[in-house]
Amino acid sequence: MINLAQNLIDALSLGSLYALVALGIGLLFSILRLINLAHGDFITVGAFALIVPSMEVTAQLAIGALNPVLLIPSIALIVVIVALMTDWAVFRPLRRAPQPSMMIASFAVSYIIQNGLIMIYGARPKNVNLWPALTGQLSIGPLRIATLQIVTIVVTLVLMAGLALFLKRTSYGIQMRAAAEDFRMARYLGVRGNLVIGMAFGISGALASAVSLLFLSQTGSLETGLGVPLALFGLVAVVIGGMGSLVGAVVGGFLVGFIVTLLQAYLPPDLRSFRDAFAFTFVIAILLWRPAGLIRAKAFDQRV
Amino acid sequence: MKIPLPARFRTPVLLMAGLTLLVALATAIGSEQLNFTLTEMLIRMIVVIGLYMFVGNSGIMSFGHIGFMGIGAYVTAWATLAPEWKQVMLQGLPAFLQEHTYPFPVAVLASGLVAAGVALILGAAIMRLNGLAASIATFAFLAIVYSVYSNWESVTGGTSSVIGIPTVVGPWTAVAFACLAVVAAYAFQVSRYGLMLRASRDDEVAAQSSSVDIVRVRLVAFVCSAFLVGMGGALYAHFLGVLTTDAFYLALSFVTLSMLVVGGIGSLTGAVAGTLAVTLIVEILRACERGFALGGAQISLPRGSQEIGLGLALALVLIFRPAGISRSREL
Amino acid sequence: MLQVENLHVSYGGIAAVRGLSLTVAAGEVVAIIGPNGAGKSTTLAAIAGGVSPREGTITYGGMGITGRRPEDIARMGVSLVPEGRHVFATLTVEENLAIGTYMLGHRSKTSADVAAVLERFPRLQERRHFPAGRLSGGEQQMLVIARAMLTQPKLMLVDEPSLGLAPLIIDQVYDILLDLRRRQGLSLLIVEQSTSRILKHADRIYVVRSGAVQLVDRAQALKDGEAIKRAYFGFEEVRA
Repeated sequence: MINLAQNLIDALSLGSLYALVALGIGLLFSILRLINLAHGDFITVGAFALIVPSMEVTAQLAIGALNPVLLIPSIALIVVIVALMTDWAVFRPLRRAPQPSMMIASFAVSYIIQNGLIMIYGARPKNVNLWPALTGQLSIGPLRIATLQIVTIVVTLVLMAGLALFLKRTSYGIQMRAAAEDFRMARYLGVRGNLVIGMAFGISGALASAVSLLFLSQTGSLETGLGVPLALFGLVAVVIGGMGSLVGAVVGGFLVGFIVTLLQAYLPPDLRSFRDAFAFTFVIAILLWRPAGLIRAKAFDQRV
Repeated sequence: MKIPLPARFRTPVLLMAGLTLLVALATAIGSEQLNFTLTEMLIRMIVVIGLYMFVGNSGIMSFGHIGFMGIGAYVTAWATLAPEWKQVMLQGLPAFLQEHTYPFPVAVLASGLVAAGVALILGAAIMRLNGLAASIATFAFLAIVYSVYSNWESVTGGTSSVIGIPTVVGPWTAVAFACLAVVAAYAFQVSRYGLMLRASRDDEVAAQSSSVDIVRVRLVAFVCSAFLVGMGGALYAHFLGVLTTDAFYLALSFVTLSMLVVGGIGSLTGAVAGTLAVTLIVEILRACERGFALGGAQISLPRGSQEIGLGLALALVLIFRPAGISRSREL
Repeated sequence: MLQVENLHVSYGGIAAVRGLSLTVAAGEVVAIIGPNGAGKSTTLAAIAGGVSPREGTITYGGMGITGRRPEDIARMGVSLVPEGRHVFATLTVEENLAIGTYMLGHRSKTSADVAAVLERFPRLQERRHFPAGRLSGGEQQMLVIARAMLTQPKLMLVDEPSLGLAPLIIDQVYDILLDLRRRQGLSLLIVEQSTSRILKHADRIYVVRSGAVQLVDRAQALKDGEAIKRAYFGFEEVRA
């Protein structure tokens, strides 16, 4: 029983992280039809922005030493700016380009960011102790829960609620939903295409920055590829949930969190290291079984 | 004297002649560094041509071909390593591999065949998906291969390197295989299958309808291209002599895709030209990283310039010359 | 108020519109009719900025709008109602209508504007909290016209408003459109495949085939239909 509850919390907290990543990828996809392979690198940028740029192996906190009230918006701002700059420099000139070209371009962005970080910070991993106060555990009866897990889950729920409110209640949110469904029609009604896409990049960047902070507090290790596996699982979640559906992205994120946790907990030990391979095989299976994902986004049936 | 070429064979003959001439010149100069770079480039060219065979003809982007390259590389390692080595490093291999060594040609052929076999199974499943879903599936495939090979310690050595593979591939072997790849890719693209596939690529309605014929033709292209890429992987193993699973993941995927896109996805000439161009760019940047003297001062670019330069080059080509430097036309 | 001159549009090397010219005066109802694939919808899309012409100029209110962005053209007072009822299916009726008002920049008036329009469409009023995808075809057609009205256009481009609708509903659609013209001086450029109804309502008719204008005249003059038939089908009817 305890074990099960423990696994459940693990799954929820891991799923939260994946759901946030999937939302960032899914939001851009819904509007731009872009599979952004650089999303993981937005996350990495957010993590590296905490420390003083240097090749030293020991990391020195810069923004990371600020009060969270300043730290969080600063990191969010940096990642949002990076995301907007990629749009402006790379994706805006490719607005009319076919889908594979955009996907390859995002691969190029990923490669540039990763190697840019290596150029500035060096290739060796660094230890960073962000928010040591959160590393404790809460005891509820016999159950011991890491504070960070609770924080991760709560932050995710708050961000998701915020995004949902934005999309449902504000004029920009409604314009984004309209654009996600029928981009061209929205523009015929005066919705500014570049503004909506810019907002999607911005929100995607802000979500990535949240993941940067949550993930780094958990692992404590900075490396230039840290966002890549996260983005891979996020992409998996988007595909499983249904491309173009934000609800699908969230559901997919939690589902992947559960699958990974369950595989980790219940696979026989000698198969456990193949966990990721099972997860990705599952993706191919989902694509074959339900190419449109578990939650079908109406407007995407013909296109995806 | 000008020898008239039958128009049908112009492209492959010109490409092969050019490559052979390049190798002849380089070996005449005799610099070891040059030979090394050239051999590596030619092996990558085989992989890029293999990638082109599927991507260029079908219009479906594949992010998974480096997985086939890794599969091929490990097959040849299993086949050609000395049994003493295998008993130490790769204890999980079946007896017919662990206790015997096979000659290089057999091993390379086996590499291609195993990669093609895997492609047949994967392709049979995913070729009926539409372009985007198929691309994502190939991406997932790459992640699966990487994950399995990084963790299957008893047959791949896991994250540690496999060493002691006979290094028998030099520029002449590489160019021979590159020419073979050129012939194979060209033969495919002018074949009935190739023409059908290209027609489906250019006609969105046909491509979307994914009729049985198109799925089958795509599968043929996928399997053939995996065969070439698998052989490329084997050559790579016999060129470096050392294998790690990290070598066959995102970075190399990026480099080979860049080569194809920079050259022009739609033509064999593009695949060849792109490999040459990207290698040239990378080598120049690499030389700049090492530094050069300018008016008495030593100037060098910071490390990582090479990769960033390649990324920028790719982005610029996508934006300003989407059909690549060959404009996706043949010679 | 609208001049299209020598418009050429191609899709991937295939020419859809070849040298088409037309004009719409202020307050005028102009119809474009022609068979399937004549380039009618492409012409409307080009005017609205949805596709870039290869050649030719489009002038609206004295300003060149060729190749400008669709949102900019919409903001100048040109509203396109594309064929096939492009409602935002997952948005509610009210949200669909609100989209049309956002570009006007006076956000405080959104709900008042929406309410005013809804009064004229009792059926939409009833269903204003429904997702638009669940409306019937006729209701969806009403919705896209109401939505276009809310952008307060001076020129409305309407692509096949009667496609797939029952005759009674078509009459309603035309009543609304003509009422708008009477009350607000709206100009209309309407594309239709069938001729009978449009002859009644339009001031002038362009018959388009193979991407170019074959015949243009006052609707009055075309009443007997023979000239239209010839232009439409491109051959003299063989009489037995």
